[in-house]
Amino acid sequence: MNKRLLHLLISLSIILTFFKQAEAMETSFETDNTLPIVYINLAVKAGTVSDPQNQLGITNFVGEMLLRGTKNKTKAQLDLELDQMGARLEVETRAEALILRGAVLSKKLDSFLNLVNEIVTEPSFLETEIVKLKAEIVSGILEELSHDQSLGARKFNEFLFQDHPYGKPILGKVKDIQNLRLEDILRHYQWLFTEEKLLVVGTGDASEDLIEDWAERLADLRPSSQTGTPIKVSVPAASKTRRVQIVDKPDRTQTQVFGGQVGVRMTDKSFFPLYLGNYAFGGGTFTSRMMLEIRVKRGWSYGANSGFRFGLQPRLWRFHFFPTSENTPESLKFSLAMVEQLKTTGLTKKEFDFSKQSLINGAGFMYDTPQKRVENKLLEKTLELPDNFMKSYAKNLKKVEIEDVNSSLKEFLNPDTLTLTVVGTAKTIKKPLAETLSMNPDEITVTPYTDD
Amino acid sequence: MSASIPLVGELKVHKFEFQNGLKLLIVPDRTSPTFAYQTWFRVGSRNEVPGYTGLAHLFEHMMFKGTKNFQDGEFDRILEQAGVEGENAFTSRDYTAYVQELPRDKLDLIAKLESDRMVNLLVNEPVFKTETEVVQNERKLRTENSPDGMIYQEIFASAFTKHPYRWPVIGYKEDLDRMNSKDAELFYRSYYNPNHATIVVTGDVDVDDVAETVNKYYSQIPAQASPAHKIAEEPEQNKIRSKKLKLNIQVEKLVIGYHIPNLLHVDLPILDILQTILAGGKSSRLHKALVETGIASSVGAYGFESKDPSLLLIMVNLQKGKRAAAAEKIILKELETLSTTGPSAQELETAKNRISFDFYENLNSNSDRAKFLGHYETLTGDFQNGIKTFKLTQDVNAEQVTSVTKRYLQPTKRTRLVGVPK
Repeated sequence: MNKRLLHLLISLSIILTFFKQAEAMETSFETDNTLPIVYINLAVKAGTVSDPQNQLGITNFVGEMLLRGTKNKTKAQLDLELDQMGARLEVETRAEALILRGAVLSKKLDSFLNLVNEIVTEPSFLETEIVKLKAEIVSGILEELSHDQSLGARKFNEFLFQDHPYGKPILGKVKDIQNLRLEDILRHYQWLFTEEKLLVVGTGDASEDLIEDWAERLADLRPSSQTGTPIKVSVPAASKTRRVQIVDKPDRTQTQVFGGQVGVRMTDKSFFPLYLGNYAFGGGTFTSRMMLEIRVKRGWSYGANSGFRFGLQPRLWRFHFFPTSENTPESLKFSLAMVEQLKTTGLTKKEFDFSKQSLINGAGFMYDTPQKRVENKLLEKTLELPDNFMKSYAKNLKKVEIEDVNSSLKEFLNPDTLTLTVVGTAKTIKKPLAETLSMNPDEITVTPYTDD
Repeated sequence: MSASIPLVGELKVHKFEFQNGLKLLIVPDRTSPTFAYQTWFRVGSRNEVPGYTGLAHLFEHMMFKGTKNFQDGEFDRILEQAGVEGENAFTSRDYTAYVQELPRDKLDLIAKLESDRMVNLLVNEPVFKTETEVVQNERKLRTENSPDGMIYQEIFASAFTKHPYRWPVIGYKEDLDRMNSKDAELFYRSYYNPNHATIVVTGDVDVDDVAETVNKYYSQIPAQASPAHKIAEEPEQNKIRSKKLKLNIQVEKLVIGYHIPNLLHVDLPILDILQTILAGGKSSRLHKALVETGIASSVGAYGFESKDPSLLLIMVNLQKGKRAAAAEKIILKELETLSTTGPSAQELETAKNRISFDFYENLNSNSDRAKFLGHYETLTGDFQNGIKTFKLTQDVNAEQVTSVTKRYLQPTKRTRLVGVPK
């Protein structure tokens, strides 16, 4: 911990505690008395990647079922208790984690923690609630498919990863959800909620002793895993050819364009050079190459960006923008040329210097609030990153040289085998897209948007 | 002129008003070596006129272009190099705000850049046309190709007949195409003045230092007279208005809108409680009646806090195979019950706790605090109205809820919009 941060924490009486109970649940809580509210996250270190084939969506389903009744309380009673406390308890499912996100007024914290305990350790899994949740999730999937951006992201993910677990949709598939049986749900719950997989991270107006005691009690109520082994995800295979998909939706005046490839791990040697390279290319700033070329100079798209998604294994790197239907072929061709150029010539010295300084100056914003520090801790623990990894960005970026960035980009990027997904109206864009990309139209996969 | 006013806990707001009409709100908080700097202008789509819809938002884009002192793109480049976080802007019906967070040693830099673009912006035709193209693209994203965006646009277009709230903030396509840089220049000179602005600074700053810095950069910018612009009053709606939209969706959608008063009206805190009883949380009336019964996958209620009377919307996403008409019947029945028997003591307590949590959560970071203060100061002229509104919600009783339900959520005064699959 650097001196400035240490001084800051002491001066603010903020106590940052991280402790690992002997062979038990990991707990991290940062006391912050500024406001009378508390955030508590209970995470399971297993997510969508552990959904068995033909049961896609089961991890999220189990998480949601926890909120639908315990042995002593109906769903209506649970809902009422949470609402009466002014509390929020929601499920967030990621590829490699299932998180129960809680937030409550500090005056209601004790009751809230007891309720979370009951929810996690004594779920009822009533058949009537399973039927209701199935209907809600199926409607949620259909709703996801009706929004072009979420539709495109889902389809790109599936198209890039094919059968690899990283391609599994969080909510699952309609047929799989409809076929889930009680015994599948019970088995998956028992597998997910074992002591070793659980993790508590939080912040707010409470003492860490209180949270630690609660976490210990919770851990004692859950069994140890029979296998004792953490989830294993294989390394996804890179595509050997360029694959192009149109997700066909009628009447589109605008398309959603996604292009990308398998990414890197945050612990890979090339991570920081590539992070810096991506920042200059399309990392979300107004002065990135993508924003300047696609939005500012050509007015093709309101937004244009690129970025990584991270996992225990290399996950993905992708770019995204949304041009008009008629501009789609030209802008897509142009963006592919931009990726090619990034690979061959890398960043200029000016771009490198600017990006490096910008990232180092702004690195403090990665952990400037208790909530961000909680999110960092969740990421570090669920992706098996070193402690305080997110705080190491500035230090690591300082060591990066332009040669590291450009050689990493050259090695990493595969412009000829990028996977491309375009949400648009096939009858108007398929032919011009094939012509622009010098492909036979039959080589383009067309998927109806209604197909989950 | 300054005053120090408690916000929440140990946090205090220091308020200044300069001779040129510029307002400044400062909340020191040294928990991180950063600060938020936001500039709020009292101009939004409400200030537009027919034929020029979308100008306020389009102009917001132009504010990131060149000035007499900084070339096009320099504003972003300088801030990004300084390590800016969350640099952005947003336009609503009532205001436009420019927001960013910076490391604590960048106060002078941001005050210099923001004050410069308040008075020295260069608006030229080629840049204006390129930006219009970008906004047309944004419009396609948010409206033309978005089922929810289409519904949102149409509910306001149907519920309002005279008032500017009837058109979308992003404007109509043909209006965007019609406008030129001269329109933008006139808009800039009319509204981008210190007497239309509030600066909010929250975070690791010294109050005197901020006041001095703001004074240094802004005090020379003259106030301008506000343009004469009579905003039409919306006549009372006495009949149901109804519309069906055919969309590329697989489940039906329903939105019902009711007219509600402006933010300063005494009934607003009661309406806040009412909407929470209706759809705030899973134990709420409509969640139980629609989601728990398998009719809808989600339901929400949202009342707009606006300068002029606006809408309370009830929004429903149906489950597969279920019809919007069935959901609407249930909603009307629930409203009828609420307007006759009123909420229970338990419902009131629940709603108050939820609103209490939301209030504190909205003050949970430098940028959130700045948004809270900017919102209420710009809409009402005094940020303390935000605190007052919250406190009033905690005193609402059952009779008041019954009374406002009867007054504002009358079945014959609703606007309904149904989205159905094509």
